[in-house]
Amino acid sequence: MIDLLVIGAGLTGLTAAIRAAQAGLTVRVISQGVGSQLWGAGTIDLLGYLPDHTPVQMPLVAREQLPPEHPLRQVDAATIDKALASVQDWLAAEGFAYVGADQGANLWLPSAVGAKRPTYIAPSTQAAARLDDPAPLHIVGFDRLRDFYPTLLADNLRRQGHDARAHMLPLDLITQRHDANNVHLAQEFEEPARFDALVGSLRYVIKPGERIAFPAILGLAKHAQLVADLQSAIGAPIAEIPTLPPSVPGFRLHNALSHQLEKAGGRVETNMKPLEFGTEKSKSEKDNITWVATATSARPRRHYAHAYLLATGGFLGGGFNTDHTGRSWETVFNLSLTLPRHRDQWFRPEFLDPAGHALFQGGVQVNHAWQPVDAQGKLVYGNLWAAGNLLAHADAIRSRSHEALAIVTAAAAVEAILVQHQPAISAGSATSSRT
Amino acid sequence: MHNISWESVEHTLDECIKCNICTAYCPVSAVTDRFPGPKYVGPQAQRFRDIGQHESPDASVDYCSGCRVCNDVCPTGVNIAEINARARAEIVDKRGISLRNRLLGRNETIGMLGNIAPTVANFALHNPLSRILAEKVMGIAKEAPLPRWSENGSLREWLQRTTRKRLRAPKKVVYFHGCATQYYEPFVGKAAIAVLEHHGYEVIVPPQNCCGLPMLSNGEFEAARGYHQRNVATLSSFARGGFPIIGTSTSCTLTLKEEAPELLDMRDEASEELVHGTWDIFEWLRELHEQGELRTDFRPLAMVLPYHAPCQQRAHRIGKPALEILDLIPELDLRESRARCCGIAGTYGYKTEKYQIAMDVGEELFSFVREQGPDLQYTACDSETCRWQLEHGTDIASRHPIEFLAAAYGLYDLDKRALL
Repeated sequence: MIDLLVIGAGLTGLTAAIRAAQAGLTVRVISQGVGSQLWGAGTIDLLGYLPDHTPVQMPLVAREQLPPEHPLRQVDAATIDKALASVQDWLAAEGFAYVGADQGANLWLPSAVGAKRPTYIAPSTQAAARLDDPAPLHIVGFDRLRDFYPTLLADNLRRQGHDARAHMLPLDLITQRHDANNVHLAQEFEEPARFDALVGSLRYVIKPGERIAFPAILGLAKHAQLVADLQSAIGAPIAEIPTLPPSVPGFRLHNALSHQLEKAGGRVETNMKPLEFGTEKSKSEKDNITWVATATSARPRRHYAHAYLLATGGFLGGGFNTDHTGRSWETVFNLSLTLPRHRDQWFRPEFLDPAGHALFQGGVQVNHAWQPVDAQGKLVYGNLWAAGNLLAHADAIRSRSHEALAIVTAAAAVEAILVQHQPAISAGSATSSRT
Repeated sequence: MHNISWESVEHTLDECIKCNICTAYCPVSAVTDRFPGPKYVGPQAQRFRDIGQHESPDASVDYCSGCRVCNDVCPTGVNIAEINARARAEIVDKRGISLRNRLLGRNETIGMLGNIAPTVANFALHNPLSRILAEKVMGIAKEAPLPRWSENGSLREWLQRTTRKRLRAPKKVVYFHGCATQYYEPFVGKAAIAVLEHHGYEVIVPPQNCCGLPMLSNGEFEAARGYHQRNVATLSSFARGGFPIIGTSTSCTLTLKEEAPELLDMRDEASEELVHGTWDIFEWLRELHEQGELRTDFRPLAMVLPYHAPCQQRAHRIGKPALEILDLIPELDLRESRARCCGIAGTYGYKTEKYQIAMDVGEELFSFVREQGPDLQYTACDSETCRWQLEHGTDIASRHPIEFLAAAYGLYDLDKRALL
């Protein structure tokens, strides 16, 4: 039996598993699919907007204005700093430098359409496009590359007062492929011939003092080296702007954290769809989870663990579901969600209503120890914890707090798990420890 | 004709959010333009494959190797590979099938014919002239790693010869050897039987057919149905009687458990009994281990061993039990491959137009193996065609994990591939 089963391989699940494994617990992560990193920009957002949509400059200060029940208010600033810094360290160990603005301020970076996007920590290549830097941005795109239009981007940036211009290169320069998937392009960019071709075509179009911003396809594992080489070959700072999915920075982030988990002794098993779970009465009169079964090609396979961390995310991650009657539920343990019972209360009439939608504000209610509780505030299972974007009161997309919410609550939940499950305790009781 | 059932995949189609993660991970579309990616030929094209549609809109689905990496990485649970397999079957249904693909689907018949005079058959198949001929006439790539018939007789012939030596015991299991073990690699079956007997189990080897996978992956669903029906008829009674049906060929066990009943929509009681009674051998050994009944009288195997869990093994969604069990062997330094696919994908890499794609796909695995050091003796993999491809791509001998386990119990000579 393992110490901890983590359900979900997004940022929450991976970072929780790394921490638990580093603390000496035996950990397995199960997930359906590779996790949602490839949907994101690969940045770590902490708090971009308050609930009234005021833009946030200093997230750790502005955090005090969040509603008291918000998950990010359940931890102190030092815990947040420490949790984020450790992730920065892991990524640095994998060759990916992640940087923030000075003195705890948000970074404002261009989105794929040239909107200002607040984030807290970003890959250094993305941070190189920060909009408080007056140096002009020269946006380079490729024809036939879908969903990245340098002219649109530059126009929108200029409209907001930033000096920017656009340049379109033929996609043939960096690939012979008929079709272009971002990840395939990034892979191909690691070939020296592609790199040389790009350098050759850019030398003559760059003006002194410009920053050159590319769609985020500049390599995968060799990204840092390629950017450094490109910078010295061209003689200008190189930046990346995240694309629509599949996101190459997200792919790098996912691979880097997966590798950190392997190094810590944990492992991820994908294509594991949870079907059912078993419970038993514990000493504290509270039910404990005894196993979670996942679908296989034949009979369900049971995963036995001492502790369980639910990190399946919200609707997009597959953690929640609803039906036409207005019923909503959490998909693994059938936990109740803090969502309005009636469907007509889920959404406001306007899609972009600044007040947001009730559907995205609901989620799993936890107690001070990050354990799910029912509507009466009573603990549901004695050995179940929850973290990340399934937590109630977060509304992470609207507040731009997705990644830090995942990392910080995962760290706090693992702290809480370690209070009850010290590595030494499980070593004696394991029936078959090698899993 | 035309009774391809779409029922079990239609509902997963609507889960696709078009995020292209499948294409980002697809090992085939990473190396060729001929396969635009799982999203395009799977859930996207499916919307145009309405019943009554004259032509399937996208013949490039034939370049799907069926490795199922897309299913594995899809965050929303779309059964993309199963959509593609059905789409290919519809094309075969409408346009017919080439002689080559018909032949490649008939692994059992080919095995049986060659076994009449294996030395002659090996010469006939493996001399350079006939390989050139096979390429020109049939479209079977002349470099492709085709197997050799066993020149010491088939597995069943060995079983007949050694019938009095076989263990009789109250604890019994059923062994499903599959065609490759029967005709090409009987030593894998011998190793498996020796390990099972070592644990005190009598091994029953009832009459059995090809599992039907080569036909399913070449789009011949109706012929595969016949094979599966016969397997259900002969094997389900054992399952009903509580005897586990254990296989060493991970693609065969996957077909018995899931691919055949799923693609052919065969969900009658007997088929379900076979589904629930079938085990991949290391899946079953892990159960034994978890109950504390796996013997651990191992001799050390001092070597570095790269292990690749093939696509069909990963499609079982049971983790990597071979890795867990082999890890118990003293001094065995296992290196886990995370390569997506060896490229061969059953019969895919045998085809002239797909041979190079398969080699390009496999490069990820071949380079992983090379990185593990210069003096490797072996690699390990649960699937026969993948082992042949691995040997072809690395020039290093490849073995089934059960051969290492048998060797660690002192029952088997890894080099000679023979029982001790």
